[in-house]
Amino acid sequence: MVDPWPVDDHHIFLLDTQARIPARVRKLKISLTMTGRPPFLIAVVDDDQGILRSLEYLLESADYAVRLFASASELLDSPWLPELDCLISDVDMPGTDGFELVRLIRSSRPELAIILITGYPDRLAHLPPLGGSELRLFTKPFQGDELLQAVSAALANARK
Amino acid sequence: MPRQAPERWPIVGRTIPPLPANVAAAEPASRKDATMLNPDAVVPLEQQFLLSNLSPGRTQKRVALGMVVVLLIASCLIMGPLSGIRLGTINAFVAVYATAMFVTDSVTAVLLFAQFSILRSHAILVIASGYLFTALIIVLYILAFPGVLAPDALIGGVQTAAWLYVTWHTVFPLFVIAYALSKDNGPDSRLWQGSVRAALFWSVAWTTALAAAAGFLFARGNADLPRIMVDPLRFGPNWPYLVGAPIVAVCSSAIAALWLRRRSVLDLWLMVVMCLYLVEVPLSYYPAPVRFSTGWYSVRVVGFLSSSLVLAVLLYEITTLYARLLGAVRGQRREREARLLTGDAVAASMAHEMRQPLTAMVTTADAGFRFLNRDAPNVERAKEAFRRIAADGHRAGELVASIRANFRSDVTERTSFNLNELIQQALALGGSELQRHRVVVAAEPNWHVPAVSGNRVQLQQVLLNLIMNAVDAMAARSEPRVLTVSSEPSEGGRVKVSVADTGPGIEPADVDRIFNPLFSTKPGGMGMGLSICRAIVEAHDGRLWCSPNSPKGAVFQFTLPASAAVTAGA
Repeated sequence: MVDPWPVDDHHIFLLDTQARIPARVRKLKISLTMTGRPPFLIAVVDDDQGILRSLEYLLESADYAVRLFASASELLDSPWLPELDCLISDVDMPGTDGFELVRLIRSSRPELAIILITGYPDRLAHLPPLGGSELRLFTKPFQGDELLQAVSAALANARK
Repeated sequence: MPRQAPERWPIVGRTIPPLPANVAAAEPASRKDATMLNPDAVVPLEQQFLLSNLSPGRTQKRVALGMVVVLLIASCLIMGPLSGIRLGTINAFVAVYATAMFVTDSVTAVLLFAQFSILRSHAILVIASGYLFTALIIVLYILAFPGVLAPDALIGGVQTAAWLYVTWHTVFPLFVIAYALSKDNGPDSRLWQGSVRAALFWSVAWTTALAAAAGFLFARGNADLPRIMVDPLRFGPNWPYLVGAPIVAVCSSAIAALWLRRRSVLDLWLMVVMCLYLVEVPLSYYPAPVRFSTGWYSVRVVGFLSSSLVLAVLLYEITTLYARLLGAVRGQRREREARLLTGDAVAASMAHEMRQPLTAMVTTADAGFRFLNRDAPNVERAKEAFRRIAADGHRAGELVASIRANFRSDVTERTSFNLNELIQQALALGGSELQRHRVVVAAEPNWHVPAVSGNRVQLQQVLLNLIMNAVDAMAARSEPRVLTVSSEPSEGGRVKVSVADTGPGIEPADVDRIFNPLFSTKPGGMGMGLSICRAIVEAHDGRLWCSPNSPKGAVFQFTLPASAAVTAGA
């Protein structure tokens, strides 16, 4: 088992995370003390920094460990991919979009819990067949609690 | 989705009082300015589609000239080499000829009267009466012609038919002269002020009375009239003086009058008709001054030709105009849909741009709430969350600011133009919506307003937006639905435009925020329209505000500075 919290924070390159490292340490402490086991690791992919940060906050408020990625390729190139418990990704991104990312991840991680978010509500009408496990799609702006419920449901599902 | 335009011609020129062409007469200087800015500016749109204002194309002029030349050659041939041919007396020919003439002349008269009812031009009324007069005279002519309906004439005697012919061929050219002269009047007097029905009634009445008087005079006075006919077949020696000379004189004057005036399609073909009248004179008398000679038969053929000429041209032009109008309607609809599409696309992309910071704010707020709502509230993290929310709020504000800046940067596309023109176009673009919601439009253009300079398309959007808002506001309401769009000079050399509706008006509480982005009172409204409008107007150094309309409804007003170049030049 690889240590889930190595020092070389991959996403330090992505965002200005000066204020983040202490938060991360604190969070690790909290979650270990509260649950007695390493928290679930959730990756968030979105090309919008504001959305990334807000999701980080939301997921941390529910004691998940979070990794942020500004594009699909950053996630695919990162060493974190095999360790993920859940993926939350935007659909409309430059380069590899959310649907394409799901297809690529499914080949190596067919059981991974995935939640998609989109700014275009009509995306719901024509979802391409993505296969694998259950997929939830949220439109922005979404209810924080609903998203968290979907995450925990997806995690429970994947655990079975 | 672009709104479906109903299958109808926009209300140009109907609900909107036609922006009068007589602006020019009242204000010669402003006309000059307007013409310099845009040559189409002073010609109301609908006038470009009417026959009497249409100028003939090069082809038409050539066809007309060719026709006259061919006719001259043909008549030379008939008077020369072909004069030896003897044709018998065919009384039925006269009947057929007169019937055909009567039908074509009456149809032409009806078409021209119809044109008058649209155009309300004195000139058209005069020429229509002229055609009605010839149609009536032909009826009398056939009644008086010896040997057609009775062995002798039904009315009058030997001289009657010949005198009716003279009347017909001198009075009609007089109508043409009157037409050409009234055409030259100023635009003010050219437009008929009274009721169309009354005008039509009196024209028909006077023309009928004139024809009846001629018939009565020549039938009763047969014996006393100067003798043109020696007998029912032969013309007398004084025919050239009593018939030929007057006809030549009036027809030549008519041609001259038409030539000197503006030459529209109708003018051109009336000139040809007058040439045909002229050709009839020598053909009738030379080489044999006898009825039923080759020349005489030719005159009837030429007469029929001249009678059907204007009719044929009118029909041809109406068909062409119909096609052109259809093209214009289609073009306008396409343009409108394209505008709505780009408007939708811009709105959708802006909606997405706004959605991102909003989502971030909502999500962070949810997170902050959760941090506080724990058994052991994490105040530090909640504070952080609130700072984030504030930062995202500023980001949204910057986004709006950048949208405004975008509108400001379009300085290169600025032109100088008259706002009244823009109002008319905006009303035309919104025409189908206005008609669908049965909105009465009162356009009150002030023609003394100076020109403004700016981005025409953007200001057009502002006007269209305000008009559509007004329509939406009134749509849910019962009558009366009145949209008033007016322009007026404002202090400081500015131009003020008001768009007033009779809808439910604006709640006092909303007056201050109605221009805010994302504020909307419409179900499903994006709330961007008025915000963009204000951004555009302010980018033009103008001001946009709203106030209550009396007794009910809302007035949106904006002012724009007059274009500097024009003010300096005036």
